[in-house]
Order: sequence, then structure tokens, then C-alpha cells
Amino acid sequence: MSLGLLVPAGLAALFALLLPLLLHLARRTEQRPTVFAAMRWLQARPRPRRRVRLEERLLLALRLLLLAALALLLAQPVMSGAPGGKAWVVVAPGIDRTDAQAALAAPDAEWRWLAPGLPRFDRDPPAAAQPVSSLLRELDAELRDDAALTVLVPARLGGLDGERPLLHRMVDWRVIETKPASTPTRPPMQGALAVRHARADDPALRYLRAAGAAWAADGAGARAGPMRLDIAPVSAAIPPDTRWLIWLAPGALPADTLTWIEAGGSALLGPQAKMEDPAAGTILWRNTRGDALVRGRAFGNGHVMQLMRELAPASLPEVLDPSFPDRLRALLDPPLLPDGAFAAAHAPLPGGPALSPVPRPLHPWLALLVALLFLGERWLATSPRRERPS
Amino acid sequence: MSAATPEFIPTAVRARLRDLRLVARRPSASPGFGAHHSRSRGAGLEFSQYRSYQQGDDPCQIDWKLHARSDRYFVREAERDSPLEAWLLVDGTASMAQGDAARPDWSRLDAAKGIAACVIELALRQGDRFGIVTITGAGVDVVAAAAGARQRNRCLLHLHRLQAAGGWPGAAGLHAVGDRVGPGTLVVMLGDCFDDAFVELAERLAAARREVLTVQILTAEERDFPFRGGHRFEDPETGESVLGDGATARADFLERFGAARRALAARLAGKGIRHVEFTLDQPLDAPLRRLFGPASARLGPEST
Repeated sequence: MSLGLLVPAGLAALFALLLPLLLHLARRTEQRPTVFAAMRWLQARPRPRRRVRLEERLLLALRLLLLAALALLLAQPVMSGAPGGKAWVVVAPGIDRTDAQAALAAPDAEWRWLAPGLPRFDRDPPAAAQPVSSLLRELDAELRDDAALTVLVPARLGGLDGERPLLHRMVDWRVIETKPASTPTRPPMQGALAVRHARADDPALRYLRAAGAAWAADGAGARAGPMRLDIAPVSAAIPPDTRWLIWLAPGALPADTLTWIEAGGSALLGPQAKMEDPAAGTILWRNTRGDALVRGRAFGNGHVMQLMRELAPASLPEVLDPSFPDRLRALLDPPLLPDGAFAAAHAPLPGGPALSPVPRPLHPWLALLVALLFLGERWLATSPRRERPS
Repeated sequence: MSAATPEFIPTAVRARLRDLRLVARRPSASPGFGAHHSRSRGAGLEFSQYRSYQQGDDPCQIDWKLHARSDRYFVREAERDSPLEAWLLVDGTASMAQGDAARPDWSRLDAAKGIAACVIELALRQGDRFGIVTITGAGVDVVAAAAGARQRNRCLLHLHRLQAAGGWPGAAGLHAVGDRVGPGTLVVMLGDCFDDAFVELAERLAAARREVLTVQILTAEERDFPFRGGHRFEDPETGESVLGDGATARADFLERFGAARRALAARLAGKGIRHVEFTLDQPLDAPLRRLFGPASARLGPEST
């Protein structure tokens, strides 16, 4: 733990310390005229002492302290390093509390949940899904260098990112055997898909309906209900709860549709739809021969994809494939990347960067100190004892 | 001060004056009947002495029973009680205007006026004659001795008008004091006793058969010297000033001033003058109690 100053030039305000010193010295030279008839017995010899003397030292000390605290406040002091260098034990959510305490007997250590804000271990366990790697890096950066860190993780660890975390310190990585949770399956597709067509006998509609029926069958048991398919001519407005749009009409898109996409919608355009800069975007779907079938790009906050071929068996035989609903869903609702691993294989590696810890600003405390000093100074300076002539 | 508080004597002090009596240690020489011992012998209530008959004595004063026993002529004499004549001599020089910083509106002169008013009350109650001499830089003012409530009012009015100013007048002006204050009277001198002339006047009056009591009125600052820090001490009468640091000058001043007060008390005691000190933070009747109180009869001249 060390003290630092963000604005060391603020210490120049320490020159103001001369002010109260001068004030308390100036009173010294004052000679209060006093009528004194018994002057005959008063010797002229004891003149006022010439050496530097300060009056009302307590008040002076308070004023000096007040000014010094103000100067320090201007210099913006910060405290770096976490308080205390004792051992830390963090427990990843998903581990039972009794299991964790049975696995490691460290009553003196600082026990915390591995969750944002590092809640104390005696609080309620946080939600199971936490960004474990990110939290570990943050904790490593904030802890003192000499603080030992023990991490208790379940055998299957989620919330990881692409690589094993590189930490600055050696971490005692304890894997606690827990009951393996059931393999998470992808939740069924939910939400509204709007299909806008120019012709009611468009052959693509048939395959889209089939895909919609397949998705609805997937989500039959889901709580929030299956997805809805809203097939309508292009003139129909897009309902506000629509998540996806499939636009089969040729020509340029109307402005309100563009606005909807820009606001965060995801649209799959037919091959004849006109959109500015069609060459842009990455290829999202190729057939087995490597031909591009769908390309897409970001558009505002939303996403635009375009089919390169007509959605018909002649031009796009993949519509007859049983996996077509899944492919279409992957386009519209791309799956998340896997973020879980076996904890035993995902122990953090040493050699991470030694990050300078985030300094904690001290000015609230300093401001409190300044306020207290000011009150004390006023109290002393206006106390009736000062009025007493001396 | 006087304008704000025309009453010189606080109520509590007035209540305590009840058991005080103005007493002269020497017999009084004033003619008339009063509450005091007299130097005049003659017919009276209290037997004084027998003395042998001298030519010119009234034959009816001869004690014939004693003549029958001793075959000599004795005259029976009684002591006559005669009234006292009290004089108040108030120092009104500029140094009397000094007071304490803790109580700036209570000066030495105010205290002197209060003590003088107390003495006047006592004298009035006993039917004694009293008068006032005030000495200021402008000269000597005298209210001739008389008795009675009108005289009291006259004296209080005179005190009321008195303002401290100037220095001690020359010897010429002081001769009037001896002329107006007759022998055998009780003279209460109120002042700070810092002027040698004041003490010399007291001694001269005492030497000329006046019974002199001096009350030295000191401020609490002179007694305690509570000053701190730098001060320029100014003499109100001469205008001289001395720079002094309160804390450093204190011990030396207290020692020298104490020695001077002891020397003054010894000097006055040597002349048979009863001397008391009065500090401004004491009650007004304190010096009178020490001079005239029940215990004062045993005391010789005050030495403190």
C-alpha cells in the first residue's frame, strides 16, 4: 500500500502555510498600550524578547494543519494496493458452501465469491454463470503482490474466454468435484419472424413455413411459447416485437424497413432486393462446392444478410435438406461460442503482466478531515477565551 | 461611572455597614456630646478620675465624701462623650482613573468614592461631623465639616462631580489641607499611595495630632500582574512609557512592588498611621471592616 499524488503541483499550495505563520508572528510585535500607575516598580529592562515567538500555538497548529490538508487535497492523493496482505480464497459459484469449506481449511483467509464486486463468502451465493476469467484477471490486478490466492472451482467451469488466463501470481487452483450439471442444450428459438413477400405464391414461402413449423416443434415445451411466423405482403407494417425479418420482395427497401434494421433488427433479404453496396459483407453460408449463398454485414445497430440465390430447390437445393431450418436459424440467431472447459485443464498460467493496481482516491476522507479541521479552527478562533485580554 | 450609578454603595455593602462604627483610637477633641471618647474632662456620665483641687475649679465639683475621708480637696471628673470629626481625603489624580481590564468601568476612583460614601454613612449614623478634601491636578477642593443629611448630600454631590485628572499638586496647595482639617480629627485618606507626596501628607497630618488612616487602593492587575505578551505600560500622570513583556516582567515586578508595599506599610506604621490595602475586586466594606470592625481594636497599625 503506498501513497501517491495525481497532481503533485498542488503541493505548491503549501506556500500558503506562511500566511498563518505571519499572522501569528505579526501579533507578536504589537505593543498593547496599558495604563499602569505602578510603573515605578516596573523595570524597563525586560523588553519583549526578540527571538521568534508564536502566539496561540494550538490555533496556529490547527490552521497549519488545515492549509496542509487543503494543499494535499489539491494534489489529489491516491492510495494504491488493496488493504491487507493476507491470503485470499475465492470460490467460483456453483460450489456448495460446505463442500468448499470441507475442501480447504483456511479460517484466517479472506473468503469471497468469484463474482462481480467479490461478495463475502457468508453472503448468498451469486448466480452460477459468471465471467470467471475476467474476474480472475481483475482480482489478480487488484490484490497485493504478496497476497496468496486460492481459487476453488468446480470440475466443469463456465464463463471462460479464449485462452487460459495469464496471471501475475501463482494461484492455488483447487478443483472441487461437483455433480456434473446436465449438458446445457440450446434453448428453442423464440420471438417473432416477419416474412414480407411480393407474391403470395412465392415458392420460398413454402420452405419458410416448413422451417417455421420445425422451430415451433422444437420449442413446443418451452415456457415462453414457440416462435411466431408472420407472413404478409410487403405493404404490411412490421410489428414492434419482431426480431427477424425475411424480405423477399424485389427492389429497394422502404425507408421504414431500413430504419427498423438500423435500430437493431436482423434482416435476411431476397436476392432481388436492392441494398446499397451489395458487395460488402462477409460470406456467412457456402454450399458444399464453396459457392457463396448468404453474405451479411452490420447495418447501424442491426444486421443485414442477403441470399445470393432464389430460395427455391432449383437454385438452392439446400432448402430440401433436413438441416435447412437449423442453417437458417444459425444465420438469424447465431449460437454463442462455447465458454466452458474442464477446470483441471484450465488452471491459470503464471507470467501475466504485473499491472499496477488501480489507485483509490483519498479525497473524500481528506475533505472530511478538512471540514473537521475547519470546524475546530473556527471553534477555537471564536471561543470566548480568546476575548480575554492578556 | 458616576452618571450611570449615582448610588455609590451597593445594597449588600450597605447592609453590612450596620455593625460598623467609626472609632477613633485617640480621644476626640471636638466639643459637644457624642458617641466618642473625649479629651475634655468635666461633668459627665462616665467617671474618669480624681484630681486635686486647683484654684478656679467650681467648688461644687469637690467630692466632699472623699474630703471627709482624706482631708484633702479632690475634684471628681467625668469623661465627656464628644462627637468625632471625620475627614475624607480622596486622591483624585490621574492614576486613580486606572481600573482592571476585567472590569473597565470600575476604577480606583470609583472605589474611593464608594469607600468615602460608606464612611459618610457611618458618620451620619453616629451624628458625627464629616468633611471631604479632594486633591486633583487642578488643586484642593474642600467641603467643610458639618453634620447631618444635607452635609451627606453635599459631600456625595461633590464626589459625584469628582473626575480623576492631573498630577499631585505642589506643597503650596497642600497647606490648605492642614488648615482645614483640624487637630484631633479622624482623617481617612483614600488613594493609591504611589505618590510620595501623598504619604508625606499623611505623615504630616499624623504628626500634627490628626488620627490618619490610609487605604491604599490597588487594582487586581497590580496585585497579580496577569499580563501576557508585549505591552507598553504608560504612566497616566507623567506620560512615560515602558515596553515590557508581561510574562518576563512579572516576577521582578511582583517582588519589587511587594517590597515597596511592605516598606510603605512599615513607614506608615512607624508614624502611627493605620494602613490597609484594598484591591478593586474586594467588597467595598472590607477596608472599613479591618479599620473599624470588631477585631480592629486589637490591631495595631495595619502592616499588610
